[in-house]
Amino acid sequence: MQYKSQAVAKPYFIAAIGLFLGQILFGLIMGLQYVIGDFLFPLIPFNVARMVHTNLLIVWLLFGFMGAAYYMIPEESETELFSPKLALALFWIFLVAGALTIVGYLAVPYATLAELTGNDILETMGREFLEQPLVTKIGIVIVALAFLFNITMTVLKGRKTSITVVLLLGLWGLAIFFLFSFYNPTNLVMDKFYWWWTVHLWVEGVWELILGALLAFVLIKVTGVDREVIEKWLYVIITLSLVTGLIGTGHHYYWIGTPEYWQWWGSVFSALEPIPFFAMTVFAFNMVNRRRREHPNKAATLWALGTGVMAFLGAGVWGFLHTLAPVNYYTHGTQITAAHGHMAFYGAYAMVVLCIISYAMPILRGRAANSNKAQVVEMWSFWLMTIAIVFITLFLTAAGILQVWLQRVSDTPLPFMVVQDKVALFYWMREWTGVVFLIGLVLYIASFFIKGEEKAA
Amino acid sequence: MEANVTLPLQKPVARHLPGDLAIWFFIAAELLAFCVFFAAYAFTRAKHVELFNAEQLTLDRNAGALNTILLLTASYFVVRAVQAAEAGLKDKVAPWLAAGFLCGSGFVAVKVTEYADKLGAGITLSTSPFYMFYLSLTFFHFMHVLLGLVILAILWFHARRGNYGPDNATAMNNLHSGASYWHMVDLVWIILFPLVYVLR
Amino acid sequence: MENLTHTPVPVDTRRSTLVWLALIAATLATWGLGEEGASGPTAVAALLAIAALKSRAVILDFMGLRHAPLLWKGIVLGWLALVCTLIALAYWKGMP
Ligand code: HEM
Ligand code: HEM
Ligand SMILES: [Fe+2]
Repeated sequence: MQYKSQAVAKPYFIAAIGLFLGQILFGLIMGLQYVIGDFLFPLIPFNVARMVHTNLLIVWLLFGFMGAAYYMIPEESETELFSPKLALALFWIFLVAGALTIVGYLAVPYATLAELTGNDILETMGREFLEQPLVTKIGIVIVALAFLFNITMTVLKGRKTSITVVLLLGLWGLAIFFLFSFYNPTNLVMDKFYWWWTVHLWVEGVWELILGALLAFVLIKVTGVDREVIEKWLYVIITLSLVTGLIGTGHHYYWIGTPEYWQWWGSVFSALEPIPFFAMTVFAFNMVNRRRREHPNKAATLWALGTGVMAFLGAGVWGFLHTLAPVNYYTHGTQITAAHGHMAFYGAYAMVVLCIISYAMPILRGRAANSNKAQVVEMWSFWLMTIAIVFITLFLTAAGILQVWLQRVSDTPLPFMVVQDKVALFYWMREWTGVVFLIGLVLYIASFFIKGEEKAA
Repeated sequence: MEANVTLPLQKPVARHLPGDLAIWFFIAAELLAFCVFFAAYAFTRAKHVELFNAEQLTLDRNAGALNTILLLTASYFVVRAVQAAEAGLKDKVAPWLAAGFLCGSGFVAVKVTEYADKLGAGITLSTSPFYMFYLSLTFFHFMHVLLGLVILAILWFHARRGNYGPDNATAMNNLHSGASYWHMVDLVWIILFPLVYVLR
Repeated sequence: MENLTHTPVPVDTRRSTLVWLALIAATLATWGLGEEGASGPTAVAALLAIAALKSRAVILDFMGLRHAPLLWKGIVLGWLALVCTLIALAYWKGMP
């Protein structure tokens, strides 16, 4: 660790992993409810478990991004963090607010929670991913602004690199597009229209900048390749991401009451969205092949390469699969969407956060890399989680294809629930594979506690 | 004006990309985007031949042709700028770039009057498939012209300081990269003009 | 960039000027066909051929891909061939 204040990243990373574990547990609960409908009913209804699963995902990724920023920015800017105290205070505020929100979801019915938290003042609740009560949303904005203030001040007083510029752009974008979660027009078309400005423009817009910056940082560290080479690629990748991703929002505007030209704009531009993801993969492998040093942290390099490949598969390939208007006409909102959502979120954002944690955590604990034994376990966890998500994706895709066929394409379409029964086998397989994923995650956590000969810092 | 420089090169030069690999990756992605759009236009037209043939006549073909000439000329001037830099004539680079920039700006001016005319007539993206494509394709290209102009302006700024010459490999790489991007903008229009304005 | 060295590019301004003039002439031809109201398979073929030749000149002479690695030359010329083929196909499909 080169700067003392980088240490504030540590609690963020630990919280991220803890919440990740929670997310997976709720995923498994829901997976079981898919095949055993009344499992844990009425204690944890499906809709509540779903909310917890997806909100924990978003929150742990945000913890990961913030931790990454606190770790990277001092090192890139070559100066201590503007205010480590503020960073630590924000950590506790965010953690407590997040925990209270989850408890709220689980303890009282959602409608009661809405009443209790002043949803009638400004109605923002009840929309997927943005279910948080108004107070939580306001809390998120305050935490985000204070966080941005902290890191922006750090960058301003220190060295400016293309990595910090891209990271800052991404994080500011994240905060700005979240503001659309406060805008909830009564017109359902308008509601959906702007809902995507948060949801889509996050994962297929500004988050890609964060992804690119994190990946570039780790690659520079583990390969020792010259900054200029990496920087040029970074700029090309983010330009392509923004051009295709911004207009690509149209792939959610096909038949929701928006003008017809979105079918063309959405199809053409979103069809090109895989290109920047592809470039990221090429870039990662290229850098590792041209490496000028052998970094002792082999696990981090593996995560970096894995991120490139899995993001391309999950976002690029599985996204492309259903992004053209004539295809989406049939696949919209089916298990194909869920298959893509899982592989893309894991491959791009979960993996890149795990990657930076894998790289930074040993250093934060005073060594360049973990012992060989610990790294072997970590690599096992990499393969278990990654292969599990690939199979979860394949099973859901199979279920999705059948679903589309039986329920929508067929001349004698079957009702939704009848079809769900017919594809139950795939849901069982998804659930068992989910258990494998959980084992992988537990191994990941265990790898932090394995002793052995460590490499000096 | 003519200071023809010819450096006959007997030995074949090692094959290499004019500009950075990253910019060529970018150019390839852009070309792919336009390819998809061109094909979408053409195949949609096949379904509405009469509509497309009728509405195509409402476009200003003279403006389209004039714009083609402006872009071609801009490209030619940029070529001359690069050649001046290659030949070490550092003080010639900026004027050629400026000339290219002027022609590009001319394109923008002509295009803006075309848009004003169409929008004034109440035409929007939702008017008909033909106008949807006309506006989408040309506007997407228009954005590229603007970006290209920004790049030319940056190159011009550096050229004024005498940065471009065979003695500065990094600068030459940047110059070639920027020039290649500009030519791509030209290349796409060469297809776009006949396709949307003339082919029937 | 690791040890970037400048690779000289053949400079032939006369050729560039001639190419430019030819491109202008070709543009006038396209415009003329438009003024004539030319339509149908022959006109489409002629216009596409002109566009292809113009594009090829820009790719090889202006962009300088004549001296580029064959892969890249292939990619961009291949793009041109693809675009022209797709357009031709679509117009053929739209014939009465
Ligand atoms: C890392 C990047 C990405 C992530 C995390 C992601 C995640 C998601 C998620 C969670 C959904 C479901 C949203 C809902 O609840 O309705 C979704 C939908 C969708 N995504 Fe992605 N995605 C990414 C990239 C892409 C890309 C690159 C494409 C296109 C090439 C794409 C195409 C789509 C489409 C078409 C839908 C709508 C599916 C439907 O109509 O049901 N996504 N994405
Ligand atoms: C490992 C075991 C997991 C299981 C069993 C599981 C199960 C589920 C289930 C049943 C749903 C609800 C689908 C529906 O509404 O019908 C869901 C949604 C979702 N899960 Fe998971 N999940 C798991 C892991 C993950 C992971 C690792 C991620 C991301 C890193 C993730 C991200 C999501 C997202 C983004 C959604 C919303 C998808 C959409 O709107 O289409 N899940 N999950
Ligand atoms: Fe999207």
